[in-house]
Amino acid sequence: MPIAAFVLKRLAGLVGVLLGMSLLIFGIVHLLPGNVAYAILGEFATPAAVAQLELKLGLKDPLPLQYWHWLDGMLHGDFGLSIVMNKPAAALIVEALGRSALLAGFAFLIVAAGGISLGLYAATHRGQTSDRVLTLAQFGLLAIPEFFWAIVCVLVFASWLNLLPATGYAPISEGIGSWAAHLVLPVLVLSFGLVAHVSRLTRSSMIEVLDSRYVLAARARGFAERRVLWRHALPNALLPAITVLAIDAGLLIGGIVVIETVFAYPGLGRLLVFAIERHDLPLLQVGMMVVTAIYALANFVAEVLYAVLNPRIRVGGAAA
Amino acid sequence: MKISRRTLIGSTLAATTAAAITPARAAGNVMRIAIGSSLNNLDPMMTTIGDEYIYDNLAFNGLTRMREDLVVEPDLAESWSFSDDIKTWTFKLRKGVKFHDGSEMVADDVVAFFKRTLDPAVTAPARSQYDMVEDVSAADPYTVVFKLNIPYGGFADILTDRQVKITPRAAAATMATKPIGTGPFKFVSYTAGDRLVLTKHTEYFEPGLPKLDGVELRIIPEMSVKIAALQAGDIDVVWDLPLDQVKTLSTRGDLRVDSVPTASWDAAVMNNLIPPFNDPKVRQAFHLAVDKKDVVELTLFGQGVETISPIPPSHSFYAKDAAMPKVNPAAAKKLLAEAGHPDGIKIAIIVPVGRPVRERLGVTLQQLAKPGGFDITVQRMPYAAFSAEVTGKAAFYVDGYFARPTVDTSTFPFLHTKASWNERLWHYSDATVDKALDEARKSGDQAVQKKNYIEMQEALVKNPASFFAYAVNFACAYRKSVGGVKTHPMRWFDLRTATVG
Repeated sequence: MPIAAFVLKRLAGLVGVLLGMSLLIFGIVHLLPGNVAYAILGEFATPAAVAQLELKLGLKDPLPLQYWHWLDGMLHGDFGLSIVMNKPAAALIVEALGRSALLAGFAFLIVAAGGISLGLYAATHRGQTSDRVLTLAQFGLLAIPEFFWAIVCVLVFASWLNLLPATGYAPISEGIGSWAAHLVLPVLVLSFGLVAHVSRLTRSSMIEVLDSRYVLAARARGFAERRVLWRHALPNALLPAITVLAIDAGLLIGGIVVIETVFAYPGLGRLLVFAIERHDLPLLQVGMMVVTAIYALANFVAEVLYAVLNPRIRVGGAAA
Repeated sequence: MKISRRTLIGSTLAATTAAAITPARAAGNVMRIAIGSSLNNLDPMMTTIGDEYIYDNLAFNGLTRMREDLVVEPDLAESWSFSDDIKTWTFKLRKGVKFHDGSEMVADDVVAFFKRTLDPAVTAPARSQYDMVEDVSAADPYTVVFKLNIPYGGFADILTDRQVKITPRAAAATMATKPIGTGPFKFVSYTAGDRLVLTKHTEYFEPGLPKLDGVELRIIPEMSVKIAALQAGDIDVVWDLPLDQVKTLSTRGDLRVDSVPTASWDAAVMNNLIPPFNDPKVRQAFHLAVDKKDVVELTLFGQGVETISPIPPSHSFYAKDAAMPKVNPAAAKKLLAEAGHPDGIKIAIIVPVGRPVRERLGVTLQQLAKPGGFDITVQRMPYAAFSAEVTGKAAFYVDGYFARPTVDTSTFPFLHTKASWNERLWHYSDATVDKALDEARKSGDQAVQKKNYIEMQEALVKNPASFFAYAVNFACAYRKSVGGVKTHPMRWFDLRTATVG
């Protein structure tokens, strides 16, 4: 199968997934207990005021009609209004997504570079003390949740050493130093678990490759160890890591709710938590759609990348 | 000396990182206050949460304002008077007050504001609190006249409330995105999840004020991070400090912790229409079973005080001589048997998840009421679902309400047979209480009001509506460099004279 056909087929699948997810998201969001009218009116929610507000917000329309309005709006580029803040949801999401992408981007670089190089190092030093120490550290990072590391980092770097700001986000217009300083801790904590994950994966696939016959053959031919490692073993060992990294990219943008909350970082995760707390369904729906789309896209990229790097996948379905 | 490539790269990296991450301290004379959650709405008329009320009181003014000692004083109104029947109130406005856009605030703005608040189509949350207002009009550019449909002695007092802040009549439609007020600080920017930035209003009507160049409200949900940021000097004030932190942080030399009594209260709400609490004897038995002093100690770490009704003991109208029943589990069991529950009562109490104090109250009551014959299970429910699913429907649950500006607005809606909140919470009905509340509201005389409110509380001891657990303290933590600000029992800040460093 030519690569173009493969990409087209996957692309069609992507659209299908998004459509299915939109239905699922709409359904789940409307199953949530609670009511936005109460959230907006707070302790002043007398029954009369609630009824009045529900009418004003159009919450009385039948659900299929509400779904259709929502989907139709999105297809025409209208992503609705945050009914709690009374602002266009799209603008809020784009702003928050930009800041999340910044965190995710830096974390992704650290995860890719750090995870792969640590994995390679461990694989080539298999069984030595440094490998054992690394393994222990990796399992520690994987097992202990990130909110714990987040608070430890705040206590150490902000409270105790007074080196970095504890929380928040500084726009780049306030100076590049302040901007960077606010990013260090969240990016670091965000990368911890994923670095451990990627390096474990790289380590085991590298070990598998190093034990394979073609590496043995390469060594038998008398190639320098450096050449065996970089030219023969690494490209094959990296395949699984690339898939995981692509999926991690989705995870990094959509799944950083905890980090953003602890560090009071105004990204997409915080916005979604806000929407859930206030029962702001239009904002929540669009936010979840964006996260879904990012995941789906990351998956799509992973598949295509995999197919490009490994021709067997492309023909896999038919040949096997 | 040989410098390897690795060392060179390493040291260059270290040097640039160290240079880049030197923390930038906020420049200048700006106070940074940590709050807990994002503001929903920037139009003060539509605000409903404590975090928003802080902003309401920084960027806007009401006709009157309330000091930290709860005395009401002139704000945008210079003076006021009322007719003999207490149904017509006339407010004289200050002259030359400038909005943040430079235009002058006049009577038409005040009239337009109240007309909008009272318009059902606007769905202003505070509308139900002003249903005594029949008409509002401008007699001249600096005089506003309110016509009420009942005599109401506390009208100037309720105008200190959070949502009744005067905004320009022409800007009503854009308040949510471009808020304009007359307050000491004007709006600059707001990022949900991050911060609200305010800067000094240079044409503020009180000369020489405010002293600060600006205020930032930083939204930081996680308390341990908030406190770390305060200790590191990233922020100057932590608003609404959890009460379990008061004693711990008080010992630190670089901080000042303030815990003040308020009229905010929590209760175990008992629905008077649903068994078992439809029987007054069961409600009395619960009061015999639980010592409120223990509740304050266990739930609030001592940062509060037991109370009879929403009137706190710090108020002069509190019935300090009311004969409280002595706690006696055996008597509680006996009373339950008389009410037809010889084996005690098994019941679930619903607590709101995410409101730690109220969750603790539920658990405390579960433990304390056991010897008196109440076998309570604690059921957790997300707070977001509370108003829609629990309030007015469940037989027994924990909830609470923030202080309101007058004794009438704190008691009447909750305890009068026909009042809105009573009909929503517990459906209480007691002739003595109704009469006392009616009489107190009709009178402009403090002595008459006090006599009636004390009668109301005594009647409430005999026939409890529900279990009013306590009036809770409100605490804030400040860096020592912060001056000129007192902790306000209404949970907002007056920062006109505040300074940092």
